[in-house]
Amino acid sequence: MNEIESNLRQRARSLLAEGKISCFIGWGPTRFPDRALPKFIFKPEEAEQLVYNEHCLNLLAKYTLAFQYSNEVIGLAARGCEARAINRLIADGSLKRDNLYLVGIHCEGMKENGSPAEKCQYCCHRDPVIYDELLGEPAGGPENLPRFAEVEELENMDADARYEYWQGQFAKCIRCYACRNICPACNCLECYTEQYRTGWQGKQANTLENSLFGFTRAYHIGDRCIECGECERACPMDISLMKLNRKLVKDVQELFGGAEAGLSAEDIHALGSYRKEDLEEFM
Amino acid sequence: MANLAPNGLEAQAQNGKDNSNLKPQNSKPGMQSNPAEWEPKILAFCCNWCTYTGADLAGLNRMKYPDNIRVIRVPCSGRVNPQFIFRAFQKGYDGVLVCGCHPWDCHYTAGNYYTRRRFLLMKRLLEYAGIDPGRFQARWISGSEAAKFRDTISKVTEEIKALGPNYKLKEE
Repeated sequence: MNEIESNLRQRARSLLAEGKISCFIGWGPTRFPDRALPKFIFKPEEAEQLVYNEHCLNLLAKYTLAFQYSNEVIGLAARGCEARAINRLIADGSLKRDNLYLVGIHCEGMKENGSPAEKCQYCCHRDPVIYDELLGEPAGGPENLPRFAEVEELENMDADARYEYWQGQFAKCIRCYACRNICPACNCLECYTEQYRTGWQGKQANTLENSLFGFTRAYHIGDRCIECGECERACPMDISLMKLNRKLVKDVQELFGGAEAGLSAEDIHALGSYRKEDLEEFM
Repeated sequence: MANLAPNGLEAQAQNGKDNSNLKPQNSKPGMQSNPAEWEPKILAFCCNWCTYTGADLAGLNRMKYPDNIRVIRVPCSGRVNPQFIFRAFQKGYDGVLVCGCHPWDCHYTAGNYYTRRRFLLMKRLLEYAGIDPGRFQARWISGSEAAKFRDTISKVTEEIKALGPNYKLKEE
């Protein structure tokens, strides 16, 4: 890990010094030893502030949207999840590949409060799928993890129990929209929740409106979710959002096939395309 | 003639006072006291080019089908945003039906192919959310299939009647 950290600092320094990039996004220290936060580096001499350890939980990809409309090239430390999120943003037309310089890192999973982070639990893409240069060697990672086990458990429950489960989950929601703000698939310029004059979504923070927000958001990103787990991590009320997202990911794979989201920048998402041979249930 | 006007107004006022029972009653099915009288309220999105025409033909042919449905005409079944379905349940409908042209028949070439994918997924999400899958249905009904329209409406109404009033995702 320390080797990656020093390499990351050195690469950020030289890229900035060469003028190849105007900003490098990595992780920086906090006043807590077991926390790291995203860090924007603009000058070569600042590169020493970068850290890389097992506490780098934040997904960096979405911060590149801060430079969405400038034509500057942005450097980014890219693990598996960042790389897939970048593919997601490029495929959605929010970023240009030419404006990014990705320094790939192999990731062994992060730690949260001393134990393996929940969001890394089912990660099958520990190597970046898109990068300009790779620090170290791709090392692969576990495959075929039972990431849909929780979803199946819920699917096997009684419908009323399931309804109660989700209403219970969304009763906790405070509608801070942290899940949406951190999600790399939620990159609309204007979210439907903000279009209050059309009345898509009530603003009340009651269980019903919260659950409608939760289901609608899950559906909006259902075919594009890269399963980075950031929504669940960001949620201050510990709502099991990934159980909802993974359900849609599972259904999209079962119904329409295709690769997982974010593996390529030319991703065509399932609901934006069709095949004439699609499953026919409505005859 | 002029003296008729006050009389007319008076008569109107009289009418309003006496026939106060003619005022629209609270017609929310779930609000009715007697469960035996409960009738489901079903929202049907009908595509302008096929199903709406089919419904029209059913009417022209004097076909009888339950009056539990409220039809919303949409230009294409692809117009139906999945959020409309959530909204319908929220506003007190007991069932939602989305109807469009047969898959090879869309007036806009491919609208209903997108609809199909959208609602295949939506149906499963609603089920996962705990809503009975029978409450949301989609059907392809062409402009000449008046009988299919009648049969679909009758069948869906019967099914939803059997399920009872919907309370899930419903506004208080």
